[in-house]
Amino acid sequence: MTGAPLPEPAVSPTATEAGVSSTARPPRPRWRQTLGLLARNPTAAVAATVLLLIVLVAVFDEAIAPTGPNEIAVQDRLQPPSLAHPFGTDDLGRDILSRVVLGAAVSLRVGFLAVAFALVVGALIGLLAGYYGRWVDDVLMRLMDILFAFPAVLLAIAVLAVRGPGAGNTALAIGIVYIPVFARVTRASVLGVREEVYVRASRSVGASDLRLLTRHVLPNAAPPIIVQTSISLAFAVLAEAALSFLGLGTQPPNPSWGLMLAEGRGFIDLAWWLAFFPGMAIFLTVLCFNLLGDGLRDVLDPRQRTLMAGSGR
Amino acid sequence: MRSNRLLPLLAAGALVLGACGGGGESVDTGAGGGGSGGGGNTLVAAVSAQPDQFDPHVTTAYPSFQVLENVYDTLVVPNAEDLTMEPSLAESWETSEDQLTWTFALRDGVTFHDGSTFDSADVVYSYRRIIDEQLSNSTRFQNVAAVEAPDPQTVVIRLSQPTPNLLERIGAFKGMAILPENAAEDLDLTTEANGTGPFRLESSDASGTVLSAYEDHWGGAPSVEGVEFRYITEPAAALTALQNGEVQWTDNVPPQQIESLQGDDIVELQTTPSVDYWYLSMNYARAPFDNRDVRRAISYAVDREAVAEAARFGAAQPNQTAIPEDSFFYFDYAPFQPDPDQARQLLQQAGVQTPLTMGLMVTDQFPETVTAAQVIASQLEPIGITVEIETLDLATWLDRQGAGDFDAFMLGWLGNLDPAAYYQEQHQTDGPNNYQGYSNPQVDQLLQAGATETDQDARKQIYDQAAQIIVDDVSYLYLYNPDVVQAWAPGLAGYQIRADKAINFESVELP
Repeated sequence: MTGAPLPEPAVSPTATEAGVSSTARPPRPRWRQTLGLLARNPTAAVAATVLLLIVLVAVFDEAIAPTGPNEIAVQDRLQPPSLAHPFGTDDLGRDILSRVVLGAAVSLRVGFLAVAFALVVGALIGLLAGYYGRWVDDVLMRLMDILFAFPAVLLAIAVLAVRGPGAGNTALAIGIVYIPVFARVTRASVLGVREEVYVRASRSVGASDLRLLTRHVLPNAAPPIIVQTSISLAFAVLAEAALSFLGLGTQPPNPSWGLMLAEGRGFIDLAWWLAFFPGMAIFLTVLCFNLLGDGLRDVLDPRQRTLMAGSGR
Repeated sequence: MRSNRLLPLLAAGALVLGACGGGGESVDTGAGGGGSGGGGNTLVAAVSAQPDQFDPHVTTAYPSFQVLENVYDTLVVPNAEDLTMEPSLAESWETSEDQLTWTFALRDGVTFHDGSTFDSADVVYSYRRIIDEQLSNSTRFQNVAAVEAPDPQTVVIRLSQPTPNLLERIGAFKGMAILPENAAEDLDLTTEANGTGPFRLESSDASGTVLSAYEDHWGGAPSVEGVEFRYITEPAAALTALQNGEVQWTDNVPPQQIESLQGDDIVELQTTPSVDYWYLSMNYARAPFDNRDVRRAISYAVDREAVAEAARFGAAQPNQTAIPEDSFFYFDYAPFQPDPDQARQLLQQAGVQTPLTMGLMVTDQFPETVTAAQVIASQLEPIGITVEIETLDLATWLDRQGAGDFDAFMLGWLGNLDPAAYYQEQHQTDGPNNYQGYSNPQVDQLLQAGATETDQDARKQIYDQAAQIIVDDVSYLYLYNPDVVQAWAPGLAGYQIRADKAINFESVELP
């Protein structure tokens, strides 16, 4: 056993797909209700807005960046922040604002890819282990225990040592590290949902395993996984920064926040802006993912949800 | 759902620990203050890395030689001014008519740190150890037929062919140190030492190495009671330690600090051109880098001035050959002026499809390679070559270099004095350091001739010719000779900054 206490069972059957549920539903679909509740949590709302901005910056990176990120102009190096270079220039005269903007794309892409990979593989493993139990559970979860026994960054470094440095491999390495986390969270959640009346009822009328898993178990086990996703994104961005800082992630001259931090370290007493701005970018992104995760947890927790919904009226 | 929070927190804890463990791979002793080296007359020197071991014949690491320089002696030693060889354990020497027999008269009254007397048997033992066990410096003895000790104060070296640079071969650095007879059997040389130098090796651990003055040193007792080498990886931390008086000397000064330190009166900063050089080399076993035109195109595209300025903040001399300007063997030859059009034309001539991708191995052990590589990448982009920089740790870097698993790499050679050392092992067909796979019979012939030519001017001409071909063929793409940068407390006397980066504290006096 993983030792994780079972999550609170859902209070009512709440399938998200239209037409599945047989009980009376509130007029608004659940996800809209969730968003509404989230919007009423000021911290989470601000975090979500900032994140949205960061994602937009990452998506429109080249259109936003004032110059190319790798345009070297040695004569302009180590310029303090000014109108021409709002974040200053680095030791090769590159515009730091442009590099932070382009770094957002690199850092977030690696973060999202890593978490997506961990989520898909981990949730699948957790789902199968939790739903089928017995030997399937034993085999899969012991494998997860083995993976989990390695310190996270050590495991990522080992993966990168085998596959070589680079952004793609970094995403894969971080993804592998977070598989067991998602597997455990999913399994714990599924264990509770599996015994729910509506699942047993559905099974008794002859629904197939596939249908049960996709229509009833997974949707109802999802809330903790969603929370986990948000929080993992924070750590994935941080892990990418750490690996790039160590020289294993994104390779120069391409900007990534962690790499910029590493490059700026040697200049910290001469030119603080080299490390400050990428550091702030990491800090803001990680903080927002964490705050959003906290907000989501409150909103998705059925007991909290009832409380919040009640107090709001 | 508290459990869901616990998991990421655990993961985060591991992440932070892992990051710290990886980040400070060398031991950093922030704990400073009084210093464990003993009394007030101990020099504390901040160096960037820990010695790998103390066996002078085995190690190839510069941090080890920083310490060993003060513990061991060689028969002859490079002069601090112009790096010509002068007497040390050998007081004088004679060469026979045919240049094949060198007779060294040893210094009298020299004792090892354990009190035993130094004599010719120790020289024979030390040299035979290097030759017989084929240690890393055995190539320096490749012309040596015999080492003999006719009497305790005389050593005779017999050669198979004239070797004009024999003094450089046996004295360039402490890798050719004289150990007492049977030292390898009596001592664990990786951690212990018994030399004839001005300081004894007292202890060494993860935070530093402590030396104490050897009062009976043949050149007189050193003026300080001891030297403590403290490992401070971060240049900023080393500089802070110097500024607040925790250490009195450091060579861990990044070039970007030179300008801001020059006006600083709490730090004495000096620079001098070094004998080192940094270069880029391409793999002759991988198309299209086996094509001379492609290599020449790349050589035309690289602006060495810009590379030196970016990587060293100007504390370097751009050079298209290996040997620096101050040397007698300097060869003023610079055929490649930055010319992207010429480069493009050469690529076209070679029939190369652009964009062409070139992997470039660099190592974070030497951050200037990472910086230089980015500048080179930006210079090669306009001619249609995409440089993929691979930042590796030095061990992996060396493995891949040895296995020939690279398109191109960048690194430097340090501490060379003689032209043979600059060119022979790197460019001779199948030379031990010819990782790029260069082979040119004409160069082989010239390098052979240079190794035995005893007339200095004729010898220089031979190496000039060899260098010209090596540069034209782009066996190495030479970039620059860096400056040595060192800083110490004002008032520290008796220390001399040297082009070969030998660090000798024998006559240093604290302020």
